[in-house]
Amino acid sequence: MASNAQRVVVTYAAPLVFLSTDHWKQIYASLASQLPLRNLHWKATTRPTIRTIQELDVKLVSLETLREDQTASQIPQSILEKPLLNIYVFICEDSEAYKATTRKQIKDWHATVSQRKNQEWLLVHVVRPDQSVAQGRLFQMKTSVLDKVKADFNTDKKDRCVQLVWSADKDNPAVWADLITKIKDGILSAFDTALTQREEEVRRSEGQRQMPGWNFCTFFILKESLASSLEGMNLYEDALQQYYELEATFFQVLREKNLSWFGPLITPSSSDDYAPLLAVTKKPYRDLILANTISVFDFRVYLLARQCALLSKLGELEEVCQKTVAFLTTFARTLRDVEDTLPPFFIESWIYSSALSVVDQCDEWARPLEMPKNELASFNAAKGELVELARQQLDVFGIAAHHLPNQPPFSLSLPTSYSISKESQVEEASKTISKAELATALKDKDTFYELYVSVTNRAIELYVSAGRRKFALKLHGSLAALDVHRGRLSNALQTFTSLPAHYSPHGWTSLEAFMLNRALDIHAAAEKPKDREWIHILLHFLRAYVDDMGKDLLLSNEDSEAYVAKLVQALKDAAHELDSDTPYPDHTALSMSIVDHDAKLAETRDGSLLKVIIYNRLPCELPVDEVEVQLAGRENSRISFTEKVSQLVPGKNEFTLFCPSSSAGTYTLFSTEISLARLHFQWKHAKTTKQIRAGSVPTLVRIPRDTKALDVRLKQPSRIELGTPSRVMVVLWTGRNDVATARVQLSAPSGIQFRYQEAEVTGEDAPPIRKDDESITFLDLKQGQTVVAAVPHSDASSYHFMRVNITVDYVTTSEPDVTRNLRLSRVVATALPVAINVEDFFRGTRLFTRFTLSTTTHQHVRVRSTHLLSPNEADGVKVTSCLAQKPSVVTITPAQPGRFLFQMDANRGQAVRDPLKLQISYRMLREEVESLIELAVGEAVSETPALERLRQDMVDILVKALETDASWVELYGVTGELVVPGVKPDEDELGAGLRRAMEILNTRRSPASYGEWREIVIPVDVPQMHILAAARLEILENPFSHAKSQKRTRPLYAGQPISALLTVTTSFHWTPPEDTQVESYAMRYDIEDLTQDWLVSGRKRGDFVAKDGETFSVPITLIALHHGELALPKVGVTALPIPGEHRMRSTVIPGCETHQVHGAEKVLVLPRGGRSTFVVNMGVANTSM
Amino acid sequence: MPPQLRLNAVAFVSPQNHPILIRTFVQGQDELKYHYIAHTSLDVIDERITAAIASKSTECYLNLLYTMEDVAVYGYMTPLKVKIIIALALTDAVVRDADVLTIFRALHTAYRQSVANPFLRLNAPIDGYNDHAILLAAGSPKWKAFRKRVDDIGKAVGVVAVSA
Repeated sequence: MASNAQRVVVTYAAPLVFLSTDHWKQIYASLASQLPLRNLHWKATTRPTIRTIQELDVKLVSLETLREDQTASQIPQSILEKPLLNIYVFICEDSEAYKATTRKQIKDWHATVSQRKNQEWLLVHVVRPDQSVAQGRLFQMKTSVLDKVKADFNTDKKDRCVQLVWSADKDNPAVWADLITKIKDGILSAFDTALTQREEEVRRSEGQRQMPGWNFCTFFILKESLASSLEGMNLYEDALQQYYELEATFFQVLREKNLSWFGPLITPSSSDDYAPLLAVTKKPYRDLILANTISVFDFRVYLLARQCALLSKLGELEEVCQKTVAFLTTFARTLRDVEDTLPPFFIESWIYSSALSVVDQCDEWARPLEMPKNELASFNAAKGELVELARQQLDVFGIAAHHLPNQPPFSLSLPTSYSISKESQVEEASKTISKAELATALKDKDTFYELYVSVTNRAIELYVSAGRRKFALKLHGSLAALDVHRGRLSNALQTFTSLPAHYSPHGWTSLEAFMLNRALDIHAAAEKPKDREWIHILLHFLRAYVDDMGKDLLLSNEDSEAYVAKLVQALKDAAHELDSDTPYPDHTALSMSIVDHDAKLAETRDGSLLKVIIYNRLPCELPVDEVEVQLAGRENSRISFTEKVSQLVPGKNEFTLFCPSSSAGTYTLFSTEISLARLHFQWKHAKTTKQIRAGSVPTLVRIPRDTKALDVRLKQPSRIELGTPSRVMVVLWTGRNDVATARVQLSAPSGIQFRYQEAEVTGEDAPPIRKDDESITFLDLKQGQTVVAAVPHSDASSYHFMRVNITVDYVTTSEPDVTRNLRLSRVVATALPVAINVEDFFRGTRLFTRFTLSTTTHQHVRVRSTHLLSPNEADGVKVTSCLAQKPSVVTITPAQPGRFLFQMDANRGQAVRDPLKLQISYRMLREEVESLIELAVGEAVSETPALERLRQDMVDILVKALETDASWVELYGVTGELVVPGVKPDEDELGAGLRRAMEILNTRRSPASYGEWREIVIPVDVPQMHILAAARLEILENPFSHAKSQKRTRPLYAGQPISALLTVTTSFHWTPPEDTQVESYAMRYDIEDLTQDWLVSGRKRGDFVAKDGETFSVPITLIALHHGELALPKVGVTALPIPGEHRMRSTVIPGCETHQVHGAEKVLVLPRGGRSTFVVNMGVANTSM
Repeated sequence: MPPQLRLNAVAFVSPQNHPILIRTFVQGQDELKYHYIAHTSLDVIDERITAAIASKSTECYLNLLYTMEDVAVYGYMTPLKVKIIIALALTDAVVRDADVLTIFRALHTAYRQSVANPFLRLNAPIDGYNDHAILLAAGSPKWKAFRKRVDDIGKAVGVVAVSA
């Protein structure tokens, strides 16, 4: 049936005379050029929405040529078989002509046409344009013709008459608009009526489904006529809908198992297995259906083909593919039920050819289409599925023909109920299969492989272009499997080793394990050396194997445990043959956890022990050599615990690891490692900051302090001499071992350099040392020995504290093979605890120096003594300390600095004045008290030796008590009695010890009697001064008395002039040695203005020349302004710049210091004297008596 | 008589495409096949998701993903993007979406109940971004309840005739 050719038919008719004219031919050609119709809007009565038909091809036929006999057929045809519209074209220029002939003609035509069911008619009156242009009479006439026609025929509302103003020389498309609209309306209206009627019929038929005598095939044909009608109208979606409904009905019928209308399920013909699936014409399907002899197979194929054809017109090629895949797979299952009746491999062959033919057909359809990218991808994916379906059939063929082994992945394609076919069947199949390429492939292995590979590659290509990576991977896997079967092992190995990487990232361990397992098998089969690559494959495999899902798919072995055990054994051998260290990070088969986060001390030797559990998830023992745990401490220090282990049994293994060199502290678990020969399984446990912030905290391990292990401390030297290189004291204590060598390295993060070459060992019994640029090494140390070495270092005065990392590598005599490594981080104070200020007072040949010591921290400092030492008594500086010897210890607190005064007497003119040295003997209060407590506790312990083990506890308790309460400080400072506050000893051994210790502390003692004192030596320069002036203002008895009278006899009165003498005695005694040649300096004096007290008369200010030891004097007169005890005005004396001498572009002013000799003097000024007359009234004698 | 659906395999896949649980209910068949099916389905699901995003659809049910040999593979994605893939034995009859959806809902419920187990988080790291580890843990053999629930559903699908 040529339903594709089905078009809307429109008949035309005209007066015979007119038909033969050229004019008609022109009109006809012009009308045909207006076709196909465009943009029809079908407002269907039975459908809710308006359907738009973009384009509708219309077939114009003459009414006469239309045969009427079709109506006789009982088979429902498409409603488009019959014309939908009949047009009558006539020319009639005046009403007379109309009346005479035309009316009759129209009437005849109208009589035939209007009787027809579901057909519309249209009258077209053709008018020449020149007629219409001419106005007036003609116009009147013309209208009258059309009106008459209308009056005669167009009786109902619908306007079925139209005028066409047309001529051949004026072919204007616009003139057609009216006619075309009318044609569209007519066609749609007729179609609508016809369709509604047909639908009604279908509905009626469907309603009778349960009645006896209903025939599905008849119904099918009826309903299909609807579909083809709709298709003819280019309403593909609606047409498709009809087929879907038909399919649904078919399934309903199928479910009712009422297939009497069909022939057998399938009557395979020779070409069935390779005929193109989607060709609707390959069999006379409709006839078969009408005859009720169509097989279900053919019926389904027909239904599918029709649907696909419609889909292709809609451009839904992807759906075509999907439908066919679904159909092929589902229907194949149905066919399986009757497989025995079919030629061998009919189904496979059918699916194979059909799938490939559909792909070709779709490509054909797709050619004119331009698909957007994403649609193209899904189209490719759908095609890929089809090709893969075909490939699966090849699997079946291959296994049957023994071209392929019956095992995965090939066997995955086998139907569930597959039985190995006989040779004979294959033989037979190669004859019955009509697809030539398949038939030959069955017989010939190589052809088969070629076909297999090409089909697979085609599918892969399609999948890749569709972006379906995972499908492609799967097919790659099967290609590799084919390679294995064909013995192309290296190819296969390459694929199988590269594939797991695609599966592992998302945890598809089952598939990964399968691939790796394959790779291992191939590796073994290929007898390749078990090299590093093999080890990696194996380790990956084991890793996947221990995963839960990995085990599920271990296919090639029955007893997987034995298989794995064998592999592990081989792994051991291979590991021993490795030529370099091979790390393998984060293997999941093994895991290590720390049991106890507190490491234990080894007790008998230096070092600590750490318990770990290693969980072996393999089903067999794993031989290993060594287990190692690395911990990270501060400053990136690492320590590692190791243990030699022979094997790990499945499940838990507990080991105690030993680390010979373990510094106390808290460490984080950094990494763990299990070594098997040169293969190292490694796990990193260090956490990034981000992880820690997210809450994944690192594992901590605490290593306790080993009080008997080798230890190194740093001290500030007890004697610090400023001006000499700073030193730090390294105190090394050997602990429980005799130490053969101990190499000490110091490093300071602040960049301070240590000068090991200048290091000195102090103390008695100094061991031999070796010094080089980087370290200092102590040799032959006895057990329990303490060595002290002073190591000079570069200036660190800008820091208060110096952090020093100490690294000690030491070897004990008992274990000469083990080099222990001790890393310590110590802090040593570099700043002095006291700050010193110096004030100098010159008095003639003497100099008084006051040192103010103040503490730089909040701590109290106890100063035992201060001495100002002159390096050389003979050079004339005599130092006298004026501090009394008692109290012997001065305490400096932050609030109260200590002052120490010294007097120096020096001869003038020493050539070199060496600096003096201030020696301070001091200690911090805390140190003092701590040593006192040690002392007291030691005493208590010596009385009761059982307390020895509690010694540290007692000290700690006491120190803590003192730290919390400062009330003891005052009493201690005065008396030396230490009353420990807040300690309430219990009634036990510790309590008793504490009580005793506190008793001892509570006695009075001199602080000088215990503990060590520190010493600071500070160089002090002897100050220098060019000029030392002593100014004096002396009140004279009278202006002429120059002699200094010791006793003033005349009282001073306010307001009266008082003679005074200003004397300035200058001394160059403290002049710097380089300036001793200078004999005189110009100077200026200036008497202070005390305008409230004194008026100064005379030379208030003046210049003079000063010479060593000479006195300049000038008389002045003072007038006291009021009476009272007045201080004399001060005299300022300054040196003037030395003329002609310039230094640094400024004048040079010699140093000058002045002191007021009369500074402390006051004079008593009496009120102004004078006579006072008092008049005393003696009264009048006897006048009143 | 209404056709019976037969559930061949169920796969739960995490939002990061890690398999959570793959169960097969067919005796004597290679599990590998269903692992492959679950894995390849992810490609199709991705396509569907892209399409769903484009059309702003929030439908969980992803419909028939593809058919292959003798199974039809259906997909479902929970609102939290856990993918559930089932393989139904292929029959030459219409499989109604409603029936498939019923199975998916049951599986989703089984999954929800299993993941709600507070003890899953017992040893899990507490950081949020690694959350899917918990989902994965639900499918491990250590936690039997999930497997049991899924197996029960598998059995139920085979026994109970789907309402026609």
